[in-house]
This record gives sequence, structure tokens and C-alpha cells, in this order.
Amino acid sequence: MSTGLDQLKHIVVLMMENRSFDHMLGSLKAIDSRIDGVTDQLSNPDTTGASVKPQPLAEFQGQLNPDPDHHFPAVDLQIFGGDASPTRAPNMQGFVKSYFNQRRDVEHSQKIMYYFKQSDLPVLAKLALEFAVFNRWFASIPGPTICNRAFAHYGTSFGRVDMNPFDVIEPFKSIYTRLIKATPKHTAKIYYYDTTSSTMEVVNLLQNQPELFGTYDQFKKDCDQAILPEYSFVEPNYNDHTGDSGEEVANDQHPDHDVLAGEFLIAEVYMHIRRNPKLWPNTAMLVVYDEHGGIYDHVPPPACKPDKFHSSEADPGTKQPFKFDRLGVRVPAILISPWIPKNTVVDRVFDHASIPATVAKFFLEDDPNRSPREINADVFIEPNVQPVDANRNLLSLANMRDDCPKFDI
Amino acid sequence: MEVIHVPRPSKKAMDPDRPANALLLAQISHLQHVERRLPLRYRSEIYTHAIKTEGEAASYIREVTEAIHQAHADAAKQRAKRTPKRGLEIAAAAERPKRSSKKKTKTTKRRKK
Repeated sequence: MSTGLDQLKHIVVLMMENRSFDHMLGSLKAIDSRIDGVTDQLSNPDTTGASVKPQPLAEFQGQLNPDPDHHFPAVDLQIFGGDASPTRAPNMQGFVKSYFNQRRDVEHSQKIMYYFKQSDLPVLAKLALEFAVFNRWFASIPGPTICNRAFAHYGTSFGRVDMNPFDVIEPFKSIYTRLIKATPKHTAKIYYYDTTSSTMEVVNLLQNQPELFGTYDQFKKDCDQAILPEYSFVEPNYNDHTGDSGEEVANDQHPDHDVLAGEFLIAEVYMHIRRNPKLWPNTAMLVVYDEHGGIYDHVPPPACKPDKFHSSEADPGTKQPFKFDRLGVRVPAILISPWIPKNTVVDRVFDHASIPATVAKFFLEDDPNRSPREINADVFIEPNVQPVDANRNLLSLANMRDDCPKFDI
Repeated sequence: MEVIHVPRPSKKAMDPDRPANALLLAQISHLQHVERRLPLRYRSEIYTHAIKTEGEAASYIREVTEAIHQAHADAAKQRAKRTPKRGLEIAAAAERPKRSSKKKTKTTKRRKK
């Protein structure tokens, strides 16, 4: 039977910044119990020993200041609650303690448990309920942005667990290089917001292959003209600045940037695809966050197959080497397509290595030079090679939906 | 079908004087790493250690990003300038044997004479 998978020509990934699943989508548990969000049973101890429950009191801006620590040692505390023993297990009990370390203010440290009400996030919550929401999409590393974003581009961070520049080590290549150098050639582009926001993939891709990049304005034009490449990766605006068309508010949702600006960006990307009848039927859009930003989530990250690269003992700051054998904290992830049944909830485990894994398997028949982490990462879109496993195919509808939401963008 | 309203961020959201976060500082250090490899004429005059705010970070990010694109664009122009020359040389070389073969023929005739 023909499904939406047969129509698919474009994959678009929009990667936002630094928010956990519970923080953004935890409220949806009250609407759909299959969504693994916030319950009354959850809590974290603060530094006085008092139990702090998640509360729907998150604010768009001004609340998470200073920016919650999400470097490797802090995330280690958040996940393991301060247990450094060899037999430790993740318990997600160290978020409040970790945030206290920054301002030494007990009351303020409790804000790390706050989450948004569904009505606060009309875009993200609506898309999660309308399309496929992932209950188990984790950051690739229990650490910060750069190394996590590296997994989305390369399927590995080449042993890095921090924010420092890294070198691409052969034979592994970016998913963009793999696509454009393939025979037959494929098309791929990274759209950064503008040159004043630029990209987080500076040292390797921007420096060596600037032709891979376009701006967000170009992305919108490419959508309107239905000339999107087969694979598009969209980066948000990372800073407040005055651009050529006036004031540009950061819309990456990184604390302490306004969450509403990010809501608008997500809606705008969605609507530019949604309203073009030449694009909407053959495009799948993934909205995902690079890491949790130090903000509370209740699901312990699982173990995974180790990567080829290990960090040194010194790099993680925990006096132990890291073998890339467990994932980071859970993040929001939503797959959007008019071929996905309404209100789909996915329980399989994914991380950002799933992005190049999916794109490579869908567009490239044979791609032997993939990192161990990418090889072992699950795919969120099945390769369209018969027979397609119907239980795994998220674009499973035989008829395209005509009830997908519209936003006033 | 209902059209869902998307609230716009408040005007107060914009604050270029906000201290640059760790991500922006990392982005600056990556750009600086790349800038060191650029020819001198493309380099920024901004002192990165003095960057404290998002607005200041944004200025540097823009300058270096544009410089990277410009350096590549200029290199491509130079390449393009060289390429037609080579093309003409090849074309000229392709023409030469015909002329020389005529000359040779004449010479041969002369020799025969």
C-alpha cells in the first residue's frame, strides 16, 4: 500500500536551544497520558533537603538568570544527584542542587523545576498533539551545545564533550558533504538566520564549505518557490541584534532569550512549508532541541553503544573519561508531516545521531563511513526500500490529512 | 479551519546589552580560530576580549562571517580569472596543429621543389 513515505522528497530539521522535554511539553501528560510528561509524583531535593515539585510557572524570559549550567560536570550532578560511585544509576535528582551552585539562592534554585502550561506554547504544544511527539529523544551527550550539535551534523563529536572547536576526523564526514558528493548527487543546505547570528558550525563547515550555507530569508524564499534542497538544517537567531530589516530578537529559546520569539520561528518555518502545495505533501519537518540547558527532566538517559572516540580523563571535568556510552538529558522533538496520523506518540529511543542516520539511510543507498553512534542510532523516517516496516513508518497514512493546523503568521 | 494565533514577543524582549551567554562566547572563540587563518585584509579590528554584550558579540560575528564568505568569493573570482586564460590556451593549442600542418605541407612542397 502506498503511504506518505512514497511522497517524501525533503527533510527539514529545525534545531532550537537548551530546553528540556518536561519544561516545554511536560504539561501535555494531563491531556494525553501516553505523553511522558510531568506528574505529581516527581520531585527534586533542594539544598535544605526540602522536596521541590515541578510547577507550571515557567516564564518566557527573565526567570532562568543566570543561564543554568549545562556543561558536563553540572549535567553529571543533575543526572546522578551527586553520586560519584562506580555503581551509580541516573536518578535525575540533582537539578535544583546544580542550579543552587550558581547563585547560592535556595528559592531561586527551585525555578529549575518550572515548566510551561500548554496554553503558554500554542505552537509547540499544538504541533506535538497534531503530529508525532517523541517520548524518548535525548541529547547525544550529557553536555553543552557544540558537541551535541556536532552529532546532528556528523553523527559524532569526535571525542569532544565541551564547547571547544573540534577537528573532523576521517573517514567520517558531515551529512551535507556526504549528500553533495554522492553519486548521484543530492542537495543539502544549512540555513543560518543571518550573518549576524551565523552558525554554530564555524570551524569546519563555514570555514571550508561556505557554499553550504544560506540565510533564513533564503530558506523562506526557497520554500515559497518549492526549491528546497533534499535536506535542510535550519539554525535560529542566537543573539539580539539590529539587522538589515530592523530589530532581530534572538529566537533560539536559549535562556534568557524570549521563548515566544522561538514559538514564532517554529510557526513560521512550519507555515512556509505548510502553505505551499508543492512542498507540504513531500516534506517532513523535525523540530528538536540540542540539549536540555540544565533544566529539569524526569527521564533517566539510557545507555547506548559507545562511540569510536573517547574523551580524555580531564575533558569531562569529572575525573573519569567518557566513552560516549550513555545519552544526555531528554529534549523535545516533534516530527511533522500531513502523512502522520494525528496525535502520534513515539516511544523508541533517539538522539541527534538519528538525524544523519535518517537522512543518510533515506537518501543514500550505501554509506559505509558512519560513526558507531550513527550506525546504532534509530531512524525517525524509514528508508523507502521495500518492504517498509509498517509498525515503524511514521508517515503511514495512505491519504494526506487536510486537517493540519494553521498559524496566523 | 481555525487559524491559531501566535503571540508575538514583547518589545522588551530585545536587549542587545544583555551579557553574552556561554554559547555566544564559544561562537566568538570559534570565529576567532578561523579568523587567524584569514589573510590580514579580511580580519576584524574588534578586540574580542572586550566583548561583553550580545550586541558587541553580534557585530564581531557578522564581520567575521562576512569576511569568510568574502575571502572565498574573492578566491573564486581569482580562480575564474585564471580558468578562461587556460581555456583560451587550450583552445589556441587545439588550433595550432592545423596551421602548423599547413605550413609543414608548404615546407614539404618547397623541399620537394
